[in-house]
Amino acid sequence: MYKYKFLILLILFSISTILFAQDKFEKESRIQPKDVPPRALLFIDSLNLKTKIKWYKEEGLDKESIEAKFKLNKAIHSVEFDTYGKIEDVEIIVNWEDLESDLKDSIFFQLNIDCLSHKIVKVQRQFLGSENELLFLIKNRNVFEPLKIRYEIIIRCKYEKKVDLFEYLFNYDGKLISRSRIIFKNSSHLEY
Amino acid sequence: MNTKIKHLVFILWFFPVSISVFGQSTFQTGGLPSLNINKKLKNDWSLNSKIESRLLFQQGEINGEVDKNFTNILTDFSLIGAKIIGLNSRIAFGYLIRFEEGVLIHRSIQHYVVVQKLSGFRLAHRFLTDQTFSVNEEPKFRLRYRISSELPFNGESVDPGEYYLKINNEYINSLQAMKYDLEIRLIPLIGYGISERFKIETGLDYRVNSFLTNKTRNSYWMTLNFFIGI
Repeated sequence: MYKYKFLILLILFSISTILFAQDKFEKESRIQPKDVPPRALLFIDSLNLKTKIKWYKEEGLDKESIEAKFKLNKAIHSVEFDTYGKIEDVEIIVNWEDLESDLKDSIFFQLNIDCLSHKIVKVQRQFLGSENELLFLIKNRNVFEPLKIRYEIIIRCKYEKKVDLFEYLFNYDGKLISRSRIIFKNSSHLEY
Repeated sequence: MNTKIKHLVFILWFFPVSISVFGQSTFQTGGLPSLNINKKLKNDWSLNSKIESRLLFQQGEINGEVDKNFTNILTDFSLIGAKIIGLNSRIAFGYLIRFEEGVLIHRSIQHYVVVQKLSGFRLAHRFLTDQTFSVNEEPKFRLRYRISSELPFNGESVDPGEYYLKINNEYINSLQAMKYDLEIRLIPLIGYGISERFKIETGLDYRVNSFLTNKTRNSYWMTLNFFIGI
């Protein structure tokens, strides 16, 4: 029995080490509406937004995506699509203070394991669902059952005499899904 | 280029020209090419070595006599060791040797830099002190603050193959033989990121000093900077 427990612990430790070792590097370039896949453009047009929409192309280490950013009801929204224009998720910036206490406790539990000290930098509530469900969400600001909710949080984390920025992804009740270290761009031309 | 950046470039170009028109003042124009080589080391340490020349094309009084002799006024060699001490801050110590008209000038340098990532641009604050020694002049002590901004022409940050606008604004307090002077620098530059480790910048380096005590001295240098990471 102890042998199995040890094996399970070893596997869990390996997974957590893999999560810890991931690095996040993204290239984000501004694009014009004419370069946006028609399906994505149609989705955003159907929202009848009165505010300015900024379009970006994001290139990560293993995937590309298209993102629309806009302000609606005083909240910054970003809608992510794949390169064919199919919607992937909707992210809305929220205040840390507005999250439920149980959720915050669960997130803090994880952060206290990973960091000696930490600071919340940015919180985004992420919604996953079908095109119609996400359209309904943005238009009516109504969260309903089929939508899957996650939290993408940028944390300033101090650990092992180092300080880094991390992007954490938690599920709806604050269980860790993934964690990646944010790589800063070279700034020697700003320093010397 | 978006309209806001165009307006900013116009204002930055207009500012030095408007200052030099007023009052009795002298000027220098020339070139300021530099090569920066950066090397990352272990345990958050890094090294920066820099070679910079100052080439004089012409000098004289504004609306007066002008000397158009081309001269290489000086060449600087510097080596700076830096260590990351926070999420986005670094301290650095270094030494500069200057060859100026056959005289060797020594300068020790200490600085602290914070780089902030804001929405759509980056800001760097540099606090620097240096001490300059030579056989011909009294020691000079300077206390400097520089704010630098990097505005990408495309997207939220500068990526390889993209242009950016960089603006440096520096205030240099100096004390030499108990005489105080203030120099102000305004340096708008257009940069291009060839790769994550290789950037080229060019633009105007405008400097004004001696306006507190003597005749104002204006300097206009066309700069060409290379930043290479190895």
